[in-house]
Amino acid sequence: MHDLIQRLTSLPWDQAPQWLFLIPALFMLLGAAGAVMLRNLIHCALCLTLSFIALGVLFIALGAEFVGFVQLLVYVGAVTMLILFAILLTPAGEVAASNNPFRSFQLSRALSAVGGAMIALLVLGTLLASIFFSPHARAAVTPVTAATAPAAAIGENLLNHTLLPLQGTAVLLTAALIGAALLAKEEKQS
Amino acid sequence: MNFLENLPLATKKFILDLVEWVCGWFCSKLGIQLPGWVMPALLTLVSILIVIVALIAVFMVMFALMSVFERKILARMQNRYGPNRVGFFRWRLCGLFQPVADGIKMLTKEDIVPRGADKIVHFLAPIVMVAPALILPVILPYGRGMVPIELSSGILFFFALGAGTELAVFMAGWSSNNKYSVMGAMRAIAQMISYELPLVMSAVVVALVAGTLSPNGIVEAQGGLSFGFLPNWFVFTPWGFVACLLFYIGALAESNRSPFDLPEGESELVAGHLTEYSGFKYAIFFMAEYVGMFAINGLLVTLFLGGYQAPFAFLDFIPSWCWFFGKLAFLAFTMVWVRATMPRFRIDQMMQFAWKLMLPMSFAALISAATWYYTGRGLLGWALSILIVGVPYLILGYFCFTRRHTADNRRYLFSE
Amino acid sequence: MMNFPGSGILKGMVVTARNMIGSYFDRAHAKRLITEQYPEERPTLPEASRSFPFLVFDGQDPEAGMRCVACKICEKECPPQCIFIEQDRDANGKLLRRPKIFDIDISVCMGCQICVESCPFESIRMDNIYEMSSCDRFGSLVIHKGQLLKSNEYYRSINPTEAAETDARIEAARIKKAAAAKVAAEKVAAARAAAAAKAAAEQAAQPPSEPEQPAP
Repeated sequence: MHDLIQRLTSLPWDQAPQWLFLIPALFMLLGAAGAVMLRNLIHCALCLTLSFIALGVLFIALGAEFVGFVQLLVYVGAVTMLILFAILLTPAGEVAASNNPFRSFQLSRALSAVGGAMIALLVLGTLLASIFFSPHARAAVTPVTAATAPAAAIGENLLNHTLLPLQGTAVLLTAALIGAALLAKEEKQS
Repeated sequence: MNFLENLPLATKKFILDLVEWVCGWFCSKLGIQLPGWVMPALLTLVSILIVIVALIAVFMVMFALMSVFERKILARMQNRYGPNRVGFFRWRLCGLFQPVADGIKMLTKEDIVPRGADKIVHFLAPIVMVAPALILPVILPYGRGMVPIELSSGILFFFALGAGTELAVFMAGWSSNNKYSVMGAMRAIAQMISYELPLVMSAVVVALVAGTLSPNGIVEAQGGLSFGFLPNWFVFTPWGFVACLLFYIGALAESNRSPFDLPEGESELVAGHLTEYSGFKYAIFFMAEYVGMFAINGLLVTLFLGGYQAPFAFLDFIPSWCWFFGKLAFLAFTMVWVRATMPRFRIDQMMQFAWKLMLPMSFAALISAATWYYTGRGLLGWALSILIVGVPYLILGYFCFTRRHTADNRRYLFSE
Repeated sequence: MMNFPGSGILKGMVVTARNMIGSYFDRAHAKRLITEQYPEERPTLPEASRSFPFLVFDGQDPEAGMRCVACKICEKECPPQCIFIEQDRDANGKLLRRPKIFDIDISVCMGCQICVESCPFESIRMDNIYEMSSCDRFGSLVIHKGQLLKSNEYYRSINPTEAAETDARIEAARIKKAAAAKVAAEKVAAARAAAAAKAAAEQAAQPPSEPEQPAP
């Protein structure tokens, strides 16, 4: 597949790498838009899954195979299932009207729209700032080869340089698993 | 027999040369001069197309043959004949044309979509199921130098695509607007997720010893003989044997085959998540299940059974791709054999088996493999690794599964 | 052998494998492969199996040896009313004791055998053929007299016990009828003899009415 990318990038179109980026990016945006705008919650979850898949494809196209496949395995396989189960097993989408602190419906809608827009602007601003002021934005574009991010190098890095966070994460995940199993267990009738 | 061994690659090279010659002939006839990048790009495209067409053709033919051989072998194990009539122009051919009849039947059935069903998701579910299943076999090494796509983290790719299957099962069950379909889909997903863990752990055990995630590398790590007479296949080591069994059982569960076919058994919840599918969509689900089964069996052959390698050097006259498909056929036969032998599991028995026996055993296999590897593969390593897998197996097997359990305290809600 | 966890599954797989290999080599064994390959091998039906009625004829000629006399009892007794009979008439229009039309609609017939039980002339019996399907929805499922007439030899071949009983009954009836006829004939002869004797006696008892002749 890298062979193919190299052949494609030597084409006279110098928009080739951007074109390879634009298609998954378009699907990601479509998925994200669908996730917030669709009425049916399961449709929203499935559009979010489309975003995850597009992100995985982006990682693979950039040469980070390991991260891309792990993204597909973890996000599409596990996180999506979690979201779908959560939607199915909880009474979703019913907002009790009596919980509304403001008396008028239009006022609460307007306020929530303003609040949402402010949060979105804040998040977008932080992201853009961190991207444009980061050192990676200035670096030269290196050609993509298979040797830049093999799984072995990632493994070595994890187990030699970042061992303590790895073990901490493992302990945290185990604790979460045991806690979830305990919470879900039925109480014995005494 | 070098000719047979090189036959697939030689065919591909022949087709590429033919395409190049035909293009060159056309260009010289019409007098146009192509830019320098056209021919390599065209040849790359044709080479990719050859690989795709060959893979899909081989797997479709294997699917068709498997469906009829499964029925015939199941029948013989149950003391009856299988389908033995469908032939070709008055030759009975022992019923081997049955898939043609089945295919025609599935294609000509009416495609019924329930009125309350979610049309887009209902339509997309078979597609989401079959697309990853057809991509799965692309990383397996079918012979020496015959990997369609060489990926350095091929094993991870395999499991990442397997996640698409679970999504498709959920989409199928939920979109049918049928509470039994949803229940069936939930049970199917629970089963798939539970058995994916021992499956991935067994693959990790192999990756530990082979030192690489690439399927070609794993096959090459299984070359040669140890102690002079035993092939180096991972299945012939204690931890490898256990990991192979765990992988095999996980493969049965991932492809929803008996004895794990609770999601799609005919007497359970009608057909579970497939209830509202008829005609070609049902055929697509069926095909995705079988192609997925072949792909995961192919991975088992690659990981544990030495891939395309012959066990002993004197058997090398049989081509490497014959060995691969022979081992694959043997594994498919054992899957049919297991289906004929065992009754279906109940959902709680399935869950207990996955979490209480298979997951601890896969960790034991990991520790055993590490011990074997780091004590230098000698006799001490063998003895220690047998102990490390054997003791937990006997303890877990005896205490969890062979004793009679007292019935747990059931709460009957509506009985007086 | 030790019973390690998992040994049950292995034993089961051995049984299944033995079944499979045996099914190729050991076909004569009673429990193997009892499937009958249908169009090539027909099943042997039990003696009293029945499907649809047929008309019995004695001798060689169906129309002449037909036992049915068109009494229409079976038509009246048939619960789903699937029999249609029309009596034959001769050249002058007089009713004959034979049917002109005898139709059974086998899409309606339920095989209850009431027609057989109610026939006084032992002429309708149950057949056991089952390959009566046709491609036409209604017309070909009405069987006419020509198709219904089958010989007594055929009946004896499909149902020997009942055929023997029927033949015995018919024979007994014939003997009884012959005996009765003989008794009747004897009675008639006796009556005629008695009448003749009476006439002779009357003639002898009459006084001679001719005059006396002179003596010389």
